[in-house]
Amino acid sequence: METFSHLIVVFISIAVVNNLVLTKFLGICPYLGVSRKVDMAFGMGCAVTFVMTISATLTWLINIKILVPLELDYLKYIAFIMVIASMVQLVEMYVRKFFPPLYESFGIFLPLIVTNCAILGVCLFIDLWGYGFLEAVVAGLGGGLGFTLAICIMGGIRENLEWADVPDALKGAGITLITAGIMTLAFMGFSGMIKG
Amino acid sequence: MSVKQKSEAATFFIRGLWEENAIFRQLLGMCPTLAVTGAVKPALTMGLATTFVLVCSNVLVSLMRNVLQAHLRILMFTLTIATFVTIADLILKAFLPDMSETLGPFVPLIIVNCLIIGRAEACGSRKPVGTSLGDALGMGVGFTLGLCALAAIRELLATGAVFELAVLPEKFENWNVMQLPAGAFITLGIMLGLSNHFLKKK
Repeated sequence: METFSHLIVVFISIAVVNNLVLTKFLGICPYLGVSRKVDMAFGMGCAVTFVMTISATLTWLINIKILVPLELDYLKYIAFIMVIASMVQLVEMYVRKFFPPLYESFGIFLPLIVTNCAILGVCLFIDLWGYGFLEAVVAGLGGGLGFTLAICIMGGIRENLEWADVPDALKGAGITLITAGIMTLAFMGFSGMIKG
Repeated sequence: MSVKQKSEAATFFIRGLWEENAIFRQLLGMCPTLAVTGAVKPALTMGLATTFVLVCSNVLVSLMRNVLQAHLRILMFTLTIATFVTIADLILKAFLPDMSETLGPFVPLIIVNCLIIGRAEACGSRKPVGTSLGDALGMGVGFTLGLCALAAIRELLATGAVFELAVLPEKFENWNVMQLPAGAFITLGIMLGLSNHFLKKK
């Protein structure tokens, strides 16, 4: 039971308190680029969650079971990025074969997940924090869901912003960044919820 | 290098500095932009490291552009970039251990900086070496300048100092929010708005 409650703490910590997008600035590009509509944002969030969970698991295994025992630490980044790129390729092939309509609606965004820094970021943070296997899996899942949460809220706000009277100079990226700043302030309310 | 090539390289260099500035014009490489700009020193280090990786990978991609297979190119770009980032990371760890500690995982995250892969795709894989070099230098220096400008504003308002030298009088009440993520987002948003307002008038 002890470990179970610990895993829940890890999950909440990475999904809400240390939200990747809002406190670690990871995955800002899709956060600004794909958040124009809620449904698109949700699709992107799901794809990222999936890839992130599997990549976090695989990179943990590769790092701890292969690279560390063989003292090949310096190959870490190359190995991590290879895992992520091949996972994305796999997801793309799978979705194209079995869910063609979903594939159509994702379009260019699927391959772009490779350069989503949130995924590589989670893998690196897991390594930095010295997480165990189950913690790594939970952190991957939690990180993905936290990303989905942030990008969906942003999508909702931006749908409403379309009808707002925004100064010309701030239209587009400017107002999105300021909105993100205010959201970050709101999310700071969660800090202190988990100690340590 | 012929005269024509030289002038092309120079044009690309200047364009990267301002007209197509990565941060203010193209909105590329946003993650490090926001994450390391709490103070000028880490921002400068990050900018120089990114420039190093950008220049090396752009030149190497340009050298091998004729043998690249179209469907494998993204993979080759990523591997090239990852190699140079590993080099930069090891150099930082060896010579600037404190700075390497501060930047933490944001050095390896240069791998997924869309600015670098974007330049490899748009310039490195199409143009000769000289042009790619000029382009990468311009983009890198422009990126570094953007980072430093943002960092200077945030450091000034958060601590009353720039580059750890006190600028504002001691009475100045520090704006703690500027050190926090919220300050980064809002400052960048306002800077974008201002640059649009004053420069995009046509």
